[in-house]
Amino acid sequence: MESKHRTGAAYLLAVAAAILLGGQGLAADDGACLECHGSEQQVTDAAAAMDLKLSQERIEQLVRRAPQAGAPHAGISCLDCHPKAGEIPHPAGMLKESPCVTCHEDELKQVNKSTHRDPKGGNDLRAPCWACHRAHDVRAVKDPHSATSPFNIASRCLNCHDKREYLVGVHGHGVQLGGLDFAATCVSCHGGHDILAPSEAGSRVARRNISFTCGKCHGRVAEAYRESVHGAALTEQDNADVPTCVDCHEAHRTLDPLLPRFRLGSPEMCGRCHNNKAMMVKYKISTAVYDTYVADFHGTTAELFRAASPDQPLNKAVCYDCHGYHDVESVRAAGDKLIKERLLVKCQVCHPQATAAFLTAWTSHYQPSPTKYPLIYWVKVFYWLVIPGTIGFFLVYIALDVWGRRRHRRSS
Amino acid sequence: MNPRVETFRRFTARHIVNHWVMMIAFAGLVITGMPQKFAGEAWAKGIVLIMGGVERVRFVHHLLGTIMALQLVWHVLEGVWLHLVKRLGMPMVPRIADVKEFMQQIKFNIGMEKHPPRMDRYGFAEKLEYLALVWGTAMMVLTGLLLLYPVRWSSLFPGEVILAAKAAHGGEAILAFLSVLTWHVYFVHIRHWNTAIFTGKLDAESYAEEHPLELARLRRDEEPAPRPSEVWRVVVFVAITAVVIVAVAAFYWWLRTPGTTIWTIKVPGWS
Repeated sequence: MESKHRTGAAYLLAVAAAILLGGQGLAADDGACLECHGSEQQVTDAAAAMDLKLSQERIEQLVRRAPQAGAPHAGISCLDCHPKAGEIPHPAGMLKESPCVTCHEDELKQVNKSTHRDPKGGNDLRAPCWACHRAHDVRAVKDPHSATSPFNIASRCLNCHDKREYLVGVHGHGVQLGGLDFAATCVSCHGGHDILAPSEAGSRVARRNISFTCGKCHGRVAEAYRESVHGAALTEQDNADVPTCVDCHEAHRTLDPLLPRFRLGSPEMCGRCHNNKAMMVKYKISTAVYDTYVADFHGTTAELFRAASPDQPLNKAVCYDCHGYHDVESVRAAGDKLIKERLLVKCQVCHPQATAAFLTAWTSHYQPSPTKYPLIYWVKVFYWLVIPGTIGFFLVYIALDVWGRRRHRRSS
Repeated sequence: MNPRVETFRRFTARHIVNHWVMMIAFAGLVITGMPQKFAGEAWAKGIVLIMGGVERVRFVHHLLGTIMALQLVWHVLEGVWLHLVKRLGMPMVPRIADVKEFMQQIKFNIGMEKHPPRMDRYGFAEKLEYLALVWGTAMMVLTGLLLLYPVRWSSLFPGEVILAAKAAHGGEAILAFLSVLTWHVYFVHIRHWNTAIFTGKLDAESYAEEHPLELARLRRDEEPAPRPSEVWRVVVFVAITAVVIVAVAAFYWWLRTPGTTIWTIKVPGWS
C-alpha cells in the first residue's frame, strides 16, 4: 500500500511539473492531457495510480477524442473547455461547468427561454448543450454525422424522453428507413433551442399551434383542417374538445393513414369523442351516431372485418367516407337538402345504381322511435314482446309437462 | 338397436333427407348469422376469425339461405304433388282437434284429466313446430332478400321497410333459434330420445304414447291405399311447377338486374 501511494504521488507530481513547466504552450497541443487521456490503457494506468476504480464505460468516456479535421471545434484545446483541468488531481464538479456559453452566448439565451432552461437563469441547463450536440465530436448541423442530423437527433432526444414509438411512426420510418432527411424529426415539430412544453401557449405543439407546425410540410390539409368544424372551433373559440392533427394521427406513433389499419380503426377513433356522452351533450350532438353506425350494415362489416383481417383494405364506408376528414363540416350548418344531395353522390361511389329513394334506407344515425322511423321501432317492439312471450310460453308448458309426467310415473 | 324391440316405419327417405338438409342449413345459418347480429361481441369476432373473415361468413350465410329458400319452394311443390297427384291427406294442417288435445294434455299434466290425449300421426307439438318453421323460413327468406338487394327494393318501398326487415330478420332469427333450443330439444331429445327422423323407425312404445291413433291403424293395417293418379292432375302439377320455376327465375332476374353493390373500391395506395 505504502509503495503504491508513493508511486501515485510521484506520478501526479511529474504531470503537474510538466504542466507548470510547459505553461500555456503545452495546453495548446494538449500533450499533457494526453499523458493520461490518450488511450484506454493510459486512463487505466492513471486511475490505478490515483487508486480509483473506474468502470469500463467510464474509462472509454475519459479517452480524449480528437475533433475531426475541419470540424467547427478542431482548433480548440482541452483547457479551453475544461479550464480547471490544469489542477491535478482535477477538482470535483469540473464537469458541471458549461464552457460552451463562452462562445455561444446567444444560444444560451435561447435555451434559457425554453423548457430546457436553467431554472435560475444561469448556465446549469436542464438539458446541457452536449446532451444534444455531444461533448467532443461536435459537428456542423448539416454534417450527416452530426449528433443533430435528421438521422441522429432522435437518439439524442430518446436518451431522456421515452417516445420510442416515434421510430415506428410514419415520420420515424421515413427518416430512419426511407432515408428521407426532410421527414419530420423531433426538432421539426418541437423546435431546437426554443423548445417549449405543449402546455405553454407559445409552444409549436400547443393545441392552437399544432396545425401550423404540421402545416409546415402538410400545408393544404392543415388549411382544410382549420376551415373544418373542428379546426374553426379551435382557432376561433379555443375549444378544448375538438381534435387537432395529433388526436387522430397521434403525435409520435403516427400511422400511415393510407394503411388499412388506419381506415379500420377510424370509427373507433371518431367514437372516442362522438361516443362520449359528457362531451357531446355540450354541443347537442347525438352519441347514437357511433352505435347506429356499428349496428348498421357498414359498421357491422367493418367491426367484424377488423377482427379477422386488420391489414386488409375494407370496401365498406367508414365515418370519413361520408363526412370527410380534414374538411369535416357540421351537418346542421350544411342543411338537410344539401346533405341529401351530397350523400347520394357518396352512396353512388359504391352503389352505382342508388337513387334518391335509396337514401331513405338509412336512418341518418337516428335510433328508431315512435316518431322517427316508427315502422322499425314497432317491429323491434313486436319482437321484444313476441320472443320472451313465445319462449316463456314454451318453458311454462315444458315445466308443466315434466311435472305432470313425473307425477304420473310415480303414481303408476 | 335391440332387435326384439318392435318398430314401425314413421319416416321415409324423403323425410330424412329433408330434415338433414334443413338441420344443416339451420345450424349453419345460426352460426353465420348470429355474429352478424352481435358484431360487437367478442364471441362474434371469434366465430368470424375461425371461419376466416366476414366475407366468407356472409357467403356461407347466403349459400345456406339460398338452400333453405329452395327447400321451401321444393316443399310447397312436394305438398302439391302429394296432395294433388298422389291424393294423400295433409296430416300437418292443424285442426280444432289439435287445440282440444293440447288442452287435454295440460289438464292431464295438472291432474284434471285421467288420460292423455290420443294423438294421430302428428301431435300438436309437431304441428306447432312445423308451422313455425314454414312461417319462419318464409319470413327469413323474404326479409333476407330485402337485405341482400336494398337498392332494388328501395325502388318499390320506402327504404324504412328494408331497415324494418333487418330488425325482423334478426328478431325472427333469435325467436327461431330459441324455439329450437326449447321446444324442439325438449320434445325429441329430452322427453324422448327420438331418432325416428334419422332412422325412419320409431319403437312401438313411443308410438303408442305419442301417436296411438296412427299406431292402431298401422296395427290393423288400415292405412288407406293410395288412390290412382289421373292425367289431368299430373298436368296441373306440371303447370304449377313450371309457373313456380318461371316466377322464381323472374324474381331473381328482377332482383339482380340493376346490378349489385360493387365488390371492390379503389383504396388509395392499394391498387
